[in-house]
Amino acid sequence: MSEFVIEAEQVCKEYRVFGSVTPTLMNALSRYHRKNARVIKALDDVSFRIRKGETVGVIGPNGSGKSSLLGLVCGTLSPTRGRVRTVGVLAPLLELGAGFHSELTGRENIFLNGAILGIPKETIRRRFDHIVEFSGLRDFIDMPVKHYSSGMYIRLGFSVAAEMDPDILLIDEVLAVGDVTFQLKCLERIRDFQKRGRTLMIVSHSLQVIEEFCGRALLLHRGKLVAEGDPSEVVFTYLKNYMNDSNEIRTTEYGTQEAVIEGVTFRDEKNLPADTFHTGRPLHIDIAYLATKRIEKPVFGFSVKTANGVYIFGSNTQIAQFPLDAIEGRGVLRLTIAPLTLMHGNFFLSLSIHSWDHLIQYHRRDDWYPFGVKNPTSALGLFQLDTRWSRPES
Amino acid sequence: MSVIQDILGRRELLYNLVLRNLKSRYKDSVLGFLWSVLVPLFMAFIYVVFLYILARGVPISEILIGVFAWQFTAQCVMNGMGSITENASLIKKVSFPRLILPLAATLSNLVNYLLNLVVQFGIVAVILAFQHERIPFQALAVPLVIAYHTLFCFALALFMASLNVFYRDMQHLIGVVMTAWFFVSPVMYSMSMVASLTDKFHSPLPMNLYLLNPMAVIIFAYRALILPETTFPVTGFVLAALLWPLLFFVLAYVIFKKLERLFADVL
Repeated sequence: MSEFVIEAEQVCKEYRVFGSVTPTLMNALSRYHRKNARVIKALDDVSFRIRKGETVGVIGPNGSGKSSLLGLVCGTLSPTRGRVRTVGVLAPLLELGAGFHSELTGRENIFLNGAILGIPKETIRRRFDHIVEFSGLRDFIDMPVKHYSSGMYIRLGFSVAAEMDPDILLIDEVLAVGDVTFQLKCLERIRDFQKRGRTLMIVSHSLQVIEEFCGRALLLHRGKLVAEGDPSEVVFTYLKNYMNDSNEIRTTEYGTQEAVIEGVTFRDEKNLPADTFHTGRPLHIDIAYLATKRIEKPVFGFSVKTANGVYIFGSNTQIAQFPLDAIEGRGVLRLTIAPLTLMHGNFFLSLSIHSWDHLIQYHRRDDWYPFGVKNPTSALGLFQLDTRWSRPES
Repeated sequence: MSVIQDILGRRELLYNLVLRNLKSRYKDSVLGFLWSVLVPLFMAFIYVVFLYILARGVPISEILIGVFAWQFTAQCVMNGMGSITENASLIKKVSFPRLILPLAATLSNLVNYLLNLVVQFGIVAVILAFQHERIPFQALAVPLVIAYHTLFCFALALFMASLNVFYRDMQHLIGVVMTAWFFVSPVMYSMSMVASLTDKFHSPLPMNLYLLNPMAVIIFAYRALILPETTFPVTGFVLAALLWPLLFFVLAYVIFKKLERLFADVL
């Protein structure tokens, strides 16, 4: 058993918030201000421990206390109650370019940023050419960074940050910025970190990143630690129970409500209700509806998206040539996906009922129903392709 | 002292922040460093002309010394005030001894002041040469005054830095306070003008009250050491007055240390 390098014991963090005004002397003097002071609990009795070499993801809706938690671990914030203990050199992967000074040249900023991140000057000097090469900014290195484009800013910032070698690396949402090449470089660097047995703590809205990189995930909701454990399961809990709380994924609902989707049951191959399914096996979706009046030739539609919003497949009863004569009152319609060709991950189902000519939308729920998929094989990717290997007959 | 150890541990950061402050100050213009000397020189020139018109002759060298010393203090107050708020992104994201930021603001102004002093000493030497005089031997003690002056400036920077985080409208107030302080400091007048208070009120009390202003003691001390004609009688009261800026430093330090935990919350 390896040692714990991050330990949080019953940590609480409270902020006193005075409306939205910046703190001023005038406000402090006015009585109105005192009445307005409000205490916000960003973290409430949170305890967890992280072992050396672990990669732990933190997820939760906006305002659930993720960044506060990272700030407490980093030491930039101090807990109102409780205790956070860390072992070893700790560094945050900065919002790239934070700490840059616009008047200074790229070269000068490399040294300044290095000093901010606590990288010894000798290291920077020795690795200078490598940093410049990595950033691809050799021609601009003696130009003040205020003339840089935002992409150049990010590249330079990351090139310096990549030289860090702390025991614990804290990452807050930086993975979401930059172009694709940059993101790949960034992820590459994180894998490199993991290989060398360093500890990582990642806050991200990219649930796929959390599932892909983390060995464990923490789920925060309104400042409380509500779930902890296997990333896929925690992400699923999040999607199922907490996501609708916030507006992060637009779960929307609209329609005339003349016919409504009352409930949805996911069933596995044994016809038992479940919320996680296996690649290659059937998935049944029972849609319970209620039509308050007789509707001729209604059309039921559905679509499936990944947790990150990538549209995978969408169809309806019309396209599938499953004509419905009419609906009235309660009823159930079954949609079967067999075999399930989705791979490991969490997905969203959207459903709709509309008229045959698409003019009337009776009821539509977008991204309303989450479900998880597990892939028992070690094949990778988003989608299972029907493949076989052979030697061509010549 | 673990604080000193912490700061020494991050001396590369301190060095780079001082360098950043100096570079960004000198970089923006072609004249660079020259501006930082020219501005106080222009100011000194204005005071000299103005006082000449008022027929209150104050020696040019005394005004020069006053203006340069005042400039150091004023800039430490202004830069110190912004040292935390202007680095909000760093405070929120990186953990390092917060003290480094106001310290860097003070030290970069100190470097600037020392460079200015070279120019100041040059000009004063030339003026004295015209009067067939020389900068006296006791000017060697000037570094002691600079050290004391710097400590006081650091205390001001610390105090203003922590205050400005919680009262962001400080800058409006501080403009007025600095103007008032400028007039009660002997920047553009000499010791004799203050000494006349004693005759006027037949009591040493006003003079002693006046000397409670640390900038008065500091500027008088500079002048007494650099200019052969100027003296500054060191009384028991003056020695006592020298103590309170040290107490102010301790106070500013304690306040800063107490509040720094909350910086990231408020910024």
